[in-house]
Amino acid sequence: MRLLSFAQRFVSLFILPCLRGRWRACPAGGGITTEVLPPPSCSLTLHATSPVRCATGEDEGGVRKRVGLWPGVFVALMLAACSPQSDRTQITVQRIFGECRANVPRDQAPIRNPDGECEILTGLIDRFQRENPDIDLKVNIVAWPGYDQLSAQYAAGDPPDVVSIHMSSIPDYQVRGLIVPVTPYLDKAGIDAGAFTPAARQGVMVKGAAYGLPFDNWTQLWHINTGLFRQAGLMRGSEPILPDSPEALLAQARQFKQATGKPYLVQSMINERAAYTRNLYTYLMNQQAVFFKTPKQITLNTPEARRIVGLFKQIYDEGLTTRDQDYPAATQGFLNGQGGVYLGGTWLIGTYENEAQTQGQPLYQAYSVKPYPALFGPHQTAYVDGHAWVVSNRTRSAAQDAAVARFLKFLYDHDYDWSRTGHLPTVQAVADSEAYLNLPHRRDIVSLSHTGQTLPPQVQRQFAIQDIIGDELFSAITGHKTIEQALTDAERRVNDLLFHLL
Amino acid sequence: MSLTRHQAGRVRGSVVLIVLIALGLIMLAPLIWTLMLSLKANSELLRSTTNAFHAPYTLENYVAILQNSGVFRWLFNSVLVAGLTTLGVLILSSLAGYGFARLEFPFRDVLFVIVLFGLAIPEQAVIITRHQMFAALNLHNSYPGLILPGLAAPFGVFLMTQYFRAIPKELDEAAMLDNASRLKIFWKVLLPLTLPAQATLGIFTFLAAWNDYWWPLISATRPEMFTLTVGIASSQINFAQTSGLGYLMTQAVFASVPILIVYVFFQKYIVRAVAGQAVR
Repeated sequence: MRLLSFAQRFVSLFILPCLRGRWRACPAGGGITTEVLPPPSCSLTLHATSPVRCATGEDEGGVRKRVGLWPGVFVALMLAACSPQSDRTQITVQRIFGECRANVPRDQAPIRNPDGECEILTGLIDRFQRENPDIDLKVNIVAWPGYDQLSAQYAAGDPPDVVSIHMSSIPDYQVRGLIVPVTPYLDKAGIDAGAFTPAARQGVMVKGAAYGLPFDNWTQLWHINTGLFRQAGLMRGSEPILPDSPEALLAQARQFKQATGKPYLVQSMINERAAYTRNLYTYLMNQQAVFFKTPKQITLNTPEARRIVGLFKQIYDEGLTTRDQDYPAATQGFLNGQGGVYLGGTWLIGTYENEAQTQGQPLYQAYSVKPYPALFGPHQTAYVDGHAWVVSNRTRSAAQDAAVARFLKFLYDHDYDWSRTGHLPTVQAVADSEAYLNLPHRRDIVSLSHTGQTLPPQVQRQFAIQDIIGDELFSAITGHKTIEQALTDAERRVNDLLFHLL
Repeated sequence: MSLTRHQAGRVRGSVVLIVLIALGLIMLAPLIWTLMLSLKANSELLRSTTNAFHAPYTLENYVAILQNSGVFRWLFNSVLVAGLTTLGVLILSSLAGYGFARLEFPFRDVLFVIVLFGLAIPEQAVIITRHQMFAALNLHNSYPGLILPGLAAPFGVFLMTQYFRAIPKELDEAAMLDNASRLKIFWKVLLPLTLPAQATLGIFTFLAAWNDYWWPLISATRPEMFTLTVGIASSQINFAQTSGLGYLMTQAVFASVPILIVYVFFQKYIVRAVAGQAVR
């Protein structure tokens, strides 16, 4: 029973005689629509309805409702809002990154924050819609990270056609058959999988098939305040001197603190689990440690891991890092010159570069960014994740499949635009292009599109694993547990989680 | 020197007043902070949130919210969902409360206990089952899908039952002597007496429905069906807490304005409800 039919019963029994009608929700801008039925009656019988389409062309699917309503005003609204069926092919795209229409007037260049994720993607989708008038691209913008809603959509049998997810989440959906390989779409669009960078390919390939169009790779970087580095004597010409071993890092950090009175590292440590884990992954990879022997078994209590955690604990114990800051505080702290190196993501490059170009700001002409230096051996690498566009496993017409292929091709063609966010490009030709390399600091980090490594492609629940490990590392670094105990606990908890998966 | 009783009373009153003002300021501080942050440009707040204490101020975040294509639709959805949920809860709880308090029927006490069990079951325990059920009934992305779960209100039934029980039965008997039907007694005699409880229940139900985030998040997955809470969350950029702080605060202010309006109009009943005077 629907609530409104209940309301109808109540109203018809106790309050008013009713008129009869159908109503349903149209997409934003489409208004509430109703259809007039034959003469008013107070019957409570429910009837099936014929399909209704709104001005936006949306197929009503599960939102059709059949209830009795009285006000004629709804009838008028319905008549105004509905129109005959559209011939356009409709596909639904779901994305995160927020809503910023105020910054991007439709079909115009952004008026604010032109290199922001939201602004770039909004502009791109506008452009796709403008250039493909035969496709009715419906866009769902969902709250980050969007997985609650996506899972709910799958559970309800109503997933979007194309959805942006993290590469690290692909195994969760792939193993359950909820997404399909995109290779046929890429083939249809004339895109060769070899066109992507190695890091991008790693992120979307499962058992030899691509399960997503890689859109970017992102990772943690060393954001460096070169003004403070110079003050500490840690610059060689215009380049910061980076440590090449744990001992060198500690020596630099002590020297830095003595010279500037400030901590060497700025770290987000409160309400933060991801950063610890990413640091650990990067330096395990740096030591070429195989910590996932199989996708369902992690090995963490190892000499390699203990060395890494020991280093970060020593940095913490000696006061060589900021403490008790959450992500906003640490991001702002680095911007205001509170420390020498901020361990932050690729997405911060634009923000800090803007500050470096603004006179009077602490970072003015004093900003550089580098990949994590190799501290535990010569193998230069970093843990990377990324965003990818995946295609849901649902029934689609040939026209809809063609529309999906065109959308993916469009995104592929505009990889450079997206790389302005600071994220690493996924198309090798873009990574090699002068246009990309001439963006600020990109020459310094582009190597990561080759050296970056994701976790093995069949490891599920990577977000949950990240939280568990981060939780235990926080305990170890702040002294609530011994390093040995924390790593043992992390290993046990992660393996317990993986053991119970499909 | 000893104070007279009158003077002592005045001193005591002043101390209480000062303490209350201090507590009031502590309560207000986050709200004022939120409001001030909402009036600042995001780029300024990125550098320092202490900028909130200095001019210039701007309305650009409010303009940005109003330019969001979906916001008025979400507002409409929230009003509709919260309003109909409230209406439904009042109707059902009143009828059920009357039934449990006044009517004799088989298994009445058992049924009442079963209803009360609902108070002990958290939403988290039933959310998956409920989601599957609503999916099977094709109720997701619909107004009934958003409203129906809120109608199961054991607290409302309990409150109204207790309230009806507190009304003397002699009133019913007097009305029966005048040949009034059960429905008429309920509608004309008893229901008007329960208005304070109805107001309390209505306010709490409206607030809960308005602020609900979790169920709309997983039931309304199409933007046209978002409620305001889900809609404004979806419009947040990633890392809004750093590069979009002003906008974030503006969203909080915008979402709370309707609730403030409700509060202004129903202040008397809310205070009475919180003070526990709604149930005699």
